Order: sequence, then C-alpha cells, then structure tokens
Amino acid sequence: MLEMLKEAFRSIAANKLRTALSMIGIIIGVAAVIAVVSVAEGTSQTIRQNLSAIGSNLIMISPGFIKGGGGRVATALSDLLTKDDAETIAQMCQSVAHVTPIQQGNFAIQHERQNTMSTVLAAYPAIFDMMTLNLVAGEYFTNEDEQFRRRVAIIGEEIANTLFPNEDPIGKTIRISDKMTRQNFKVIGVLEKSGNLLFLNPDRSIILPFSSAEQRLFRRSYVSSIVAQARSEQQAATAVSEIDWVLYLKFQDTDKYRIISQDVMLQTVNQTMAILSFMLGSIAGISLLVGGIGIMNIMLVTVTERTREIGVRKAVGANRRHILLQFLLESIILTFVAGMIGVGVGFLFSRGIAIIGSIQTTVTPLVVLIAVSVSVSVGIIFGVFPAMKAAKLNPVEALRYE
Amino acid sequence: MRTLKTVIRVENVQKIYRMGDNIVKAVDGVTLNVMEKEYLVVVGPSGSGKSTLMHLMGCLDKPSIGEIYIENVAVSKLNDTELAKIRNKMIGFVFQQFNLLPRLTALENVELPMIYARVPREVRKKRAKKLLKLVGLADRMNHRPTQLSGGQMQRVAIARALANEPQIILADEPTGNLDSKSGEEILKIFSELHDSGLTIIIVTHDPEITENGDRVIHMRDGRVISQEVRASVGDA
Repeated sequence: MLEMLKEAFRSIAANKLRTALSMIGIIIGVAAVIAVVSVAEGTSQTIRQNLSAIGSNLIMISPGFIKGGGGRVATALSDLLTKDDAETIAQMCQSVAHVTPIQQGNFAIQHERQNTMSTVLAAYPAIFDMMTLNLVAGEYFTNEDEQFRRRVAIIGEEIANTLFPNEDPIGKTIRISDKMTRQNFKVIGVLEKSGNLLFLNPDRSIILPFSSAEQRLFRRSYVSSIVAQARSEQQAATAVSEIDWVLYLKFQDTDKYRIISQDVMLQTVNQTMAILSFMLGSIAGISLLVGGIGIMNIMLVTVTERTREIGVRKAVGANRRHILLQFLLESIILTFVAGMIGVGVGFLFSRGIAIIGSIQTTVTPLVVLIAVSVSVSVGIIFGVFPAMKAAKLNPVEALRYE
Repeated sequence: MRTLKTVIRVENVQKIYRMGDNIVKAVDGVTLNVMEKEYLVVVGPSGSGKSTLMHLMGCLDKPSIGEIYIENVAVSKLNDTELAKIRNKMIGFVFQQFNLLPRLTALENVELPMIYARVPREVRKKRAKKLLKLVGLADRMNHRPTQLSGGQMQRVAIARALANEPQIILADEPTGNLDSKSGEEILKIFSELHDSGLTIIIVTHDPEITENGDRVIHMRDGRVISQEVRASVGDA
C-alpha cells in the first residue's frame, strides 16, 4: 500500500503541467465553496451579534395584517396597539421586566443652518436599559421627564456630527418637524456609536420621551409597536405566552398582532442563513463537479497512455485490484491535493472579500472538512471509471499497445 | 536417473481471434509438454502463432479451446487473481521490447514483482541488488532505462523475471532488438540459468538461437510442424 502511494505520487509528479491544469477545476470549485460559505457564515455571525447587542430577551409586539383577498390589499393594522396595552402587559405579565410603547417616524431635524432627516423614536426611559444604549455625553431622560412631557431629546452620534459639526450639542435646541408640525426639543444626551441594531440604527436616530412626542409629533393614540423584556432568558418563552394571553383576551384574534421574541428571530436568522449558505455552496459546488469531469478526462488519458505499463505490471504479477487501486489512488491524491490548495485559495479569497467589502467572513473548520471530503469523493467517483478501464485491460493487448 | 515432471502441459489448444469479419486461428491445435529444467526453443516466422502460444503458456491469456496445465493446474479454471499469482510467482517474462517501466530505476524495476508478492522492503532491496549483480549491472542500479543500452535493459528485464524465484522463464524474441554481441551475452545468461536448474522457453524466428536448446519446435500457421531433440533433458 505504501509502495502504491509512492508510485501514485511519482506518476502525478511526472507530468507537472498536466497535473496542475487538471487540478485547477477542483481548486476553483473548492475555493469558491469556501469563499461563498465564509461570506454567508460571516454575515450570519454579524446578524447574530447585532441581535444579541440589542439588549437581551427582548420581545417585539407589532400589529398584524388584514389579509388581502376579494380585491382588498393586505395592509398593516395601524390602529390597534395602544399605550394602554403596554401598561396592561406590564401589570399582568409576571415574567416581563420592562415594557415600553414605541412610536416611530421620520422627521426633518434642524439646528440653525444645519438640517437632516432622522428616525424619531418615542419610548419610556426603560428603552435605554432594554436595548443597552450607552451615552457618550450628557444624560438619559428620566421618568420625571416622561411624566411632565418635557421637550428633551437624546440624539444619535451621526445626527450629532451633522447638526453640530463644531460645537457641543448638549443643551442646544433642535427643531423636529414634518408637514404638519414643528417642535423644539433640547438635546440632553448623545448616544454612543453602536452600528446597526437590526430594525434600528441608533446612530441615525433621535429618542424622545414617549409622552413628550406622542401628542406633539405623532398626534395619534395608536403606537407603532410595543417592546417588552423578559426577566431572564429562561422566562422568555413564558413571557411570550403571557403577552399572547393578554392580547388575545383583548383582540380575540391571533392574526391581529404578532409577537416575536429575540430567540425566535435568532432561530429565523440561523435557518435563513443556513439555507442561504447551503444554496450558494451548492452552486459553487457545481464547479467541483466540472472539475471532477476534468479529472476523469485526464485519468482516461493517463490510462490510455500507460496501457503498456499496465500490461507489464500484469505480466509481472499485478491483478485487477492492484491496477484499480493504483489509478484510483492517483485520482484521489490529485483531488485531495487540489482540495487542500483550494482551501488555501478560498481562505485568501475570503480574507480579500472581507477587506474589500468590509464585511465579516468566517471560514469554519466544518466547511473546510466538507469541501475537502467532497473533492476527495469527486476523485473517487470520477476516478473509478478510468481505473476500472485500466484494471480490465487484457494483458496481451496491453503489452502489444504502442 | 530420476524422472522429471512436466511443468507445462498444452493440450490441443486453439486460440481464435475475430478480426473484423475474419476469424483468425492464431494457435490451431497445439499439444506440447514442457519438462522441468528443459530449454525449449520455439521457432517460426512472424504470424506463426509462437508469441500467442507463449502468452498462453505464461497465463497472460486463456485458450479458446483446449486446456493448459501449469504444474497440473488447469489455467481456464483460474480467476484473475490466481492467474496473476502464477505470473508473479511461477513465471518470469522477458520481452523483445524489454518492457521496463521508464519512470523507475533499474533497481525499482527488479523490485516490482516482489512488491506484488508483498516481499518486505528490506528483503526486496537486498534481493534486487543481488540479482542485478548476477546479471552484471551492479554499477547501474540507480539508472533509469533511458540511461541504459539495449543489452543492459534486457539484463535488467532478466533480473526482474528472476525476482520471485520462478521455475519457468518465458522469453519472446529476447535478442530481437539487440546487436549480435549483446544478443550473445543475453543467450549466455539464459544458458547459465538453464544450468542452474530453470526451465527456459524462448520464442524466436532467429535460427541461431536454436543451437542452445535441448529441444526445438518449429511452428507455422498456428501448428507445430516439426520437432527436434538436441539433448535429452537433464544431461547438461
């Protein structure tokens, strides 16, 4: 066996250019699989990190849809959840630690000559703790601010940079307006830069006390959504069913509202990304198949070229199994080496994509294992036919072959 | 004088090939016994079926009709692995084209049959070196076939044929590609091997070789047409 391995290496090495060319297909295939899956895996990890960065054990409650049909278009129920529902949840649900109603909308923001558009979020002070939003300057608004509907605002880092390029925003007044209204708020805090938190980019947001913004800016009694936080990770599921129970009592229809907990989101993301990386990986895997056909081609050429050698080997005592193994081993070594090179190339690709696209890419040991074993399987599958052809050669005819 | 046994028994053998629409009887009813320690020369023009007969006796091919017994074992009943084993252990081949593997050194070529016989590495190397010394190539062990002359290549081939200590050496036109001096050297080696107790079968169209044989068989059109006994086996 060791002798055969040595033999196989020797005959592969004998034709370096051809070997290299026939390996290219497999190398590209494996590299593509590694690179593509690393991007999908990296993205998935980024999303998961983002998800867990938005506090922990969060539960989102949002209005459901009216189903379409009979000419009606499906629309979101905008007039469903109220601030009172949030209060009810806070009172009735034992496993819920904090609840806040959320109003969300886009407004024009102005300070002296600078202006920008921003997402304005109105919520209870608990939101900062729930979503782990930290400040770089100033202070949070308090329950007192909430109670007295004070005109105070916490602004995101990018908003601060845009509106206050050369000055300290704390204590300054900003004007928040849309077509209907125009209101002044005093900046009391600036959020730490945190990047995208899935459904919200705090860097480009302004957060106001709920009661301060409710009447002045949003002018409606229905809320965009309600966010709740379970007391612990273990109680998250219980919290969801408690909330479900409260809301069902009120609305008597499970289609009218949606409750999404963080771990459900996490599961959905994981599932989606797994499907995505499998699909992309499979597409890249097609080039592995093409590479395999290249290997088969080259092995068939090798067998024909070495017909005489096969004859000689049989004459001195090789049986079919010896010949079969010899050629099979060659194609396996070929694809294994190509697979390993492909892993290296794929790793470099993945690093390159990460640098150029400034996204996270992750090469997991599992995908390396799969890629290499798939390429070895390709070697076996596409090597068997030429090897059998070699093994079945009649020694007399093989010896006569010129 | 003790009786010598028959090592190869060819019984009414035919080998039929189909060449397009023509049916060719390469060997057409040959019956022949080869005795232990015999030096047999098969002579005939090209197309006389002598090479085919050699392939059949060497278990490289099976007869279409008739039976060949190697040491009383019927060849047609053996499977691929068993045939390979006979070729490996009992028979050594020497070809006109030398048929050395070009990527291997002289030493590795001689080792080849021992690899298939699973001879341990150390034993194998030692024996291959001994055999190359025997054929006078002690200083050419690590040369590749392309670096050797025709006579040297044929001597490597003989060393390879002897690797697993076979009883029978089958040679197909062993001097056909050699100049007369190298040819004589090769024939001298065969004579020495014969003297040491091996059964030698040489197939040739060269009448000069017949001088060495104990027995000479003339073939034409797939049949044995005459036979002359030069010396009775075992006399040498």
